[in-house]
Amino acid sequence: MERMSPDSTERGAVQLMPPPMMRAHAGEVVSARTKVSARDVRVFYGEKQALFDVSIDIPDRAVTALIGPSGCGKTTFLRCINRMNDTIEGARVEGTLEIEGKNIYARSVDPVILRTRVGMVFQKPNPFPKSIFENVAYGPRIHGMAKSKAKLQEIVEQALRRASLWDEVKDRLDQSGTSLSGGQQQRLVIARTVAVNPDIILMDEPCSALDPIATAKIEELIDDLRRNFCIIIVTHSMAQAARVSQRTAFFHLGHLVETGPTEEIFTNPRDSRTQDYITGRFG
Amino acid sequence: MPEHTVKAYSEELEALSSEVARMGGIAESAFSDSLAAVVRRDTRLAREVVARDEKIDEAQREIEHRAIRLMALRHPYANDLRQVLSAWRIGIDLERVGDLAKNIAKRTKVINEFDPIDLTQSIESMGKFASIQLKAVLDAYSSRDAKAAVGVWSHDEDIDRHYNALFRELLTYMMEDPRTIGPCAHLLFVAKNIERIGDHCTNIAEQVHYLVTGEELIRDRPKRGDVAAAPPAGEP
Repeated sequence: MERMSPDSTERGAVQLMPPPMMRAHAGEVVSARTKVSARDVRVFYGEKQALFDVSIDIPDRAVTALIGPSGCGKTTFLRCINRMNDTIEGARVEGTLEIEGKNIYARSVDPVILRTRVGMVFQKPNPFPKSIFENVAYGPRIHGMAKSKAKLQEIVEQALRRASLWDEVKDRLDQSGTSLSGGQQQRLVIARTVAVNPDIILMDEPCSALDPIATAKIEELIDDLRRNFCIIIVTHSMAQAARVSQRTAFFHLGHLVETGPTEEIFTNPRDSRTQDYITGRFG
Repeated sequence: MPEHTVKAYSEELEALSSEVARMGGIAESAFSDSLAAVVRRDTRLAREVVARDEKIDEAQREIEHRAIRLMALRHPYANDLRQVLSAWRIGIDLERVGDLAKNIAKRTKVINEFDPIDLTQSIESMGKFASIQLKAVLDAYSSRDAKAAVGVWSHDEDIDRHYNALFRELLTYMMEDPRTIGPCAHLLFVAKNIERIGDHCTNIAEQVHYLVTGEELIRDRPKRGDVAAAPPAGEP
């Protein structure tokens, strides 16, 4: 059971009709195992509080979409999960954030190691100005994951296959990563992310700079990757959240308003703020 | 509820709802006129009801067209999505109500060729009950009242009871005087049509409930002896 902030709505608690008259909702399609667990997470940028007591359990091997209007705190929350907020001057994170039961803000945790377990894909594809091969090989090499050149090649190939890019680039691995199209670059970045075998992949509007075809390819890839990873995606596209995620969390003014199975959020949200947002009534 | 940021979207949804309400009004009057035609042996009115069915079919096509357009162009979510889906489905049910009213009217024309039968009184009271159900469910739709919809939904059994009583009455009549078999058989179909209009009212009630709450009412309500589909047990 999720414990959430006081202003959030716990799904299932409200029964409008006596139970025998109601049809039970379809079970959730995702793994019940919690990967990321946040409790009363508060984030401050200097004096300004950006997140208020966010509590949420995020399941493994599923896609969780974070939605909400600009400035609602969804990206701030995403950046808490790999401690990217640490890099911002004056940012302060309170509350507890655990991955598999371990507090990632504990003193003993090295954020650099953490970020190999929690990969991140940004809005704009950001390949290194190096060859396609080097883009993917870089992480495994610096983390000493490959003992031999053959092993490294194997890792690169596997990562590119997982990112559905291998067939398109296998004959030109020496070419620069920046020579690829936007959609290919984004898949290259995803290949670079999965090459170090993370547990979690964070995506911050990964398709907002892509055309519909490239977007569809990334979405297909996300659906594929969720079998092996916990994926958390921030998106401004309601349709994309509906298409790719199994669970959706709605943020508003720094509060987590509502979280639940995506199908329910998009057909029957509990909170009027969620309803107004997803139906285009404010924002 | 606040307006959509895109105002045309709100207007399109409102237009869809009004079209459903308008269609409901036409179906309601077609049904009550078909009953009046039976009770008053009014062949002219019966003809008029038959002719009016085209308007109902047209309204249903209009609703479908608007619903498809909204889905394709606006991608409705949450209550908007439910509004589009329920309008579409209610349109289908109302179109069936129109067909059944038309069928009652057609049979009235035939029944009126025979001598009058007393049983029209039972038909009248059953029909009145179904009319009240239809009006109540259309009101529930207009006022987005889930509670009222559940009220209609749970009263369907009463129509079934009416139907069963009428069924027995008609059988007795036919056994007593085989010359009445012709008109009685038609009256039996009239009663069956009314009973089915009652079923469409419960379908609409389910849609209203879904529209308002997002929750579905379970379809298989426990019926006290489902005799609507077959002659009552123990009858010859």
